[in-house]
Amino acid sequence: MNQQLNERESLALIESMINKAKNNFSESGTLFLVWGFVILICSVLHFVTTCFFDYENGGYVWGLTWLATIFQIFYLRKKVRKQKVKSYSDDIIKYIWITFFVVMVIMVFILIWQKSYISIIPAILVLYGIPTLFTGLLFKFRPLVIGGICCWLLALACTFTHWHFQLLYIGAAGIAAWIIPGIYLRKKFIKENQQYGR
Amino acid sequence: MEFKDLDPILHSQLRLAIVSLLISVKEAEFTFIKEKTNATAGNLSVQLNKLKEVEYVEITKQFKYNYPQTLCKITRKGIDAFEQYVNALQSYMRPG
Repeated sequence: MNQQLNERESLALIESMINKAKNNFSESGTLFLVWGFVILICSVLHFVTTCFFDYENGGYVWGLTWLATIFQIFYLRKKVRKQKVKSYSDDIIKYIWITFFVVMVIMVFILIWQKSYISIIPAILVLYGIPTLFTGLLFKFRPLVIGGICCWLLALACTFTHWHFQLLYIGAAGIAAWIIPGIYLRKKFIKENQQYGR
Repeated sequence: MEFKDLDPILHSQLRLAIVSLLISVKEAEFTFIKEKTNATAGNLSVQLNKLKEVEYVEITKQFKYNYPQTLCKITRKGIDAFEQYVNALQSYMRPG
């Protein structure tokens, strides 16, 4: 592969190599699906236990998110271990999600401290919409863009809804911003794996 | 019509393939470049060293999870050379 090229061959080679690098970036959707279902299950269980059984400690069900966090840590460690190439967009996405996480923790802490419990769910939804929309725009992936906008609309809807129903909105956000994009990503990943033999 | 000279370092199939791959990413492992270019390890190593000598590419050798890892990254000089090379190619291709 050391031969000299003519101009057309050179341009074709450049194009093909850039495409090969581009096609390497694919997300399996696993984390989206795991988080989506965990959020959906937690929100529905919390809603059902609170509204139909008057159980005061239904919020403990959110402890399941710790399991999802542990899974995410192991999953990402494995992914980094296998990663052979790093793109500029990887860094941008990583920093925006770290920023989201830090801001969310601070915001939830402030709201709990101020006893503004009713504002916690809309605040999380507003914040979650930002990295979701940004990631969707960066990768030109429409389901995530729509998911991000849905989070903001659901946050607005929370303002006009009783606290109990806000729980269901979190579940709806789980479907719009995690599960649906996750299913699309999974399908795309499987298709690309077959196409490029990964 | 004025023809620009094509950079002889880039005007070789494997070296151009390496630089075209690296231009799209922040950094890549040797094994990734080998897989995408279908080159042999020996040939790839020789061509990467040539690109390193002219400072188009930076090569870092380190350990990742106890395994040796060779990371390659395009430099500012490499990006400029690639852009000039593409401009020169386009001037050749332009009709008239």
